[in-house]
Amino acid sequence: MNLTTYITEPAGLQSFYEAIVATNETYAPVEKLGKFDYKQIKTPPECQPDSPIEQTMSIKPLFFPKSARVMKYEATAEGTDVTDTTEDPLAGKRVILGVKHCDARGLQVLDEVYKWDYIDTDYQKRRENTIIISARCEQAATHCFCTSLDYDVEQSDAMDVAVINGLDGKVYIQARTEKGEHFLKENASGLAATNGSALEEMKKQYQAFSGSFRLKMDYKEINGKMQSRFESPAFEEVATNCVSCNTCAFVCPTCHCFKITDERIRDEGVRYKSYDSCNNIYFTLMAGGHNPRPAKYRRWRQRAMHKFVYYKERFGVNLCVGCGKCTISCPVNISIFEVVNQVSNV
Amino acid sequence: METELKDKIVSIEKPAIEAPPEWKPMIMGILCNWCSYAGSDLTGTSRIQYPPDIRIIRVPCSSRVDPWFIIKSLQAHADGVLISGCHPGDCHYISGNYYARRRFLVTKKLLNFVGLHEDRVQFSWVSAAEGAKFAQVVAKVSEDIRKMGPLHLYKKENTR
Amino acid sequence: MDYTMQIQDTAARLFSEEKIDLFIGYRSTGFDNNQVPVLIHHYQDVEQLVFTDKSVFNLTNYLKYEYTRNKRVGLVVKGCDSRSLNLMLTENQVKRENLFIIGIACEGVMNEQGEKAQNCVECVMPDAVIYDELLGAPTGQREYQVNADINELAEQPLIERGTHFEEIFENCIRCNACRHSCPLCYCNKCCIDQETSTLYQGSNTTSGAFHALMTWSLHLAGRCVDCRNCEKACPSHLPLHLLHKQNEQVIYENFQEHLAGMIKDDRGAFYKYSMSDPDDFIM
Repeated sequence: MNLTTYITEPAGLQSFYEAIVATNETYAPVEKLGKFDYKQIKTPPECQPDSPIEQTMSIKPLFFPKSARVMKYEATAEGTDVTDTTEDPLAGKRVILGVKHCDARGLQVLDEVYKWDYIDTDYQKRRENTIIISARCEQAATHCFCTSLDYDVEQSDAMDVAVINGLDGKVYIQARTEKGEHFLKENASGLAATNGSALEEMKKQYQAFSGSFRLKMDYKEINGKMQSRFESPAFEEVATNCVSCNTCAFVCPTCHCFKITDERIRDEGVRYKSYDSCNNIYFTLMAGGHNPRPAKYRRWRQRAMHKFVYYKERFGVNLCVGCGKCTISCPVNISIFEVVNQVSNV
Repeated sequence: METELKDKIVSIEKPAIEAPPEWKPMIMGILCNWCSYAGSDLTGTSRIQYPPDIRIIRVPCSSRVDPWFIIKSLQAHADGVLISGCHPGDCHYISGNYYARRRFLVTKKLLNFVGLHEDRVQFSWVSAAEGAKFAQVVAKVSEDIRKMGPLHLYKKENTR
Repeated sequence: MDYTMQIQDTAARLFSEEKIDLFIGYRSTGFDNNQVPVLIHHYQDVEQLVFTDKSVFNLTNYLKYEYTRNKRVGLVVKGCDSRSLNLMLTENQVKRENLFIIGIACEGVMNEQGEKAQNCVECVMPDAVIYDELLGAPTGQREYQVNADINELAEQPLIERGTHFEEIFENCIRCNACRHSCPLCYCNKCCIDQETSTLYQGSNTTSGAFHALMTWSLHLAGRCVDCRNCEKACPSHLPLHLLHKQNEQVIYENFQEHLAGMIKDDRGAFYKYSMSDPDDFIM
């Protein structure tokens, strides 16, 4: 597979974006109430592809909606009439601009669980129909630690096209997958393809980026140590501050738990599949009243172990991508980085 | 029909939507057992006519009405809510309607604040002897709601 | 406003006299000038404690958990926090004899942008109303100010207001961080979460958010002390104070200038009544 890199000026990038927005259904970070959220856009100036990582929601809701309709039912004189809700507004071909590397990786991690056991066709359809264009961060935010995890941020193929603002003022647009290569052939016709020298510049940009990280850890060591820490009393300590809200899971690019709820009004009803979180006290409540995880530290243990042990054992990847969104959104700033480090170093 | 409405109706109280000609309002009536419910009974036994748009729920006291009931009624396809209890001082439980009165004022103001017309949620004191007044009250509420048209409270599907 | 030393001294004294099992205060996270709550169990940890104008979280929220309920707790409260503590005491959620309260005569805390927070500008009672030890010079109760955002919104036409709130409800992700960080939301199971109820609506739609936020704010009406823990906790940055301040204003104007938690044994505006309450909106 031969992947091309294109070189352009910032103005060229702008017209590249404009061309995409004009011909495709495009999603990009849009500011709402001081927070950047991926919304559909009609013109490029509405969005900020280089939005700060800290204030950006993940792209998870575009693939796994915060509340999706599963089915509709209606009581009629003949009986109950059940219909699939086939109308999926997100199933068309679309492009997402300004995706962070961690978010894109989050989807790769999610793919593992979505193609295992039960195949979620809605998710697969959305994945297939989407082109992801990333924008590499120029600097790490306070709580980021993506370079410390088990994926190569520099050469990641989680996105289809990577846009890199080089230190020399040029913009490098690089295809990372075959899908991205085809997409660029169609959409980057005005741009010049480049040769090996671009790789040097991209490497320089990456080095500047990876040098700006405050948080660093060795994921192999953490993975190894966490396995034997199930009974660790440190979980109790790290969980005391937690207020048991669901924020961390809802903003996380890889959390994928959901609940099923029915909303019935008179004879009609809709069944929804909405986000849920293991930090919710009722998450494990069973019919009959037994709750295996009533205490806060048990729920936190589940969260940390699932991210760094269970998922790794089953699928070979960590469920954490190091984006730091949970820490920023947390009412009391509990950091998953600090939690796993504290627990494994006791 | 539903898909058509879905695109148009975004927020509460958007005036652009025209009611279909056969539309009739649905009013959720929450009545206190001791006065208003007996009052509505009297309306019936006295053969006083009033618009057939109201669906009545009987509660022990107007103080039993949690603001949640009002919110849920509006979400569950009701176009308006009428809550009725005993006159102040007549409460079967001595002071229930005094407490209720405070809650109703706050609920009404808050619903109005978030964009709901103030006539959507109405309150009245109807005693067991006021059959005629109950008919008048329902007629007024029904007329108010007919003027405003159907309520579509955040019906737009939000799958994002 | 920096009471770090005084609080450390008091906490150390309380631990050495064995008056408390646990101290709830703030610690600095070490970056962005941020502070987070910290629960201290040992004498040697008191050095972590700080108190500056970045100590925003309402610590009385931690009194609702099992692991603090029956312990002797020392904690730091600002003016607004002390009002919520007053309500928790009145509603029998905590025992007064278990608490050692360090009250602060607060000068206002900073928001994320480094300005004085809006609720502090409009604060009615900056001094702690209940305390065992008071730090700072009390300035007394101030005059009630109508919230600027409420004023602005109230002048807008109905439909614009509706559109504004629709955007708010649409951006809600229903993570319930608002509820969980509210010290007065101590119910074991929130009514909104009762999935067996016919009123239950669990979906994450605009309608679901309307349902949850409106019910929640009306259940807090007359009790909300405007500490804005909910708003600071919200990951979507929703202006939740609009709902609470609107209720507070209606209650203040109509029910004998009632303010939540100012006096001990005052249960809130909906737990009392007056013959002269407004009646003109009722037919």
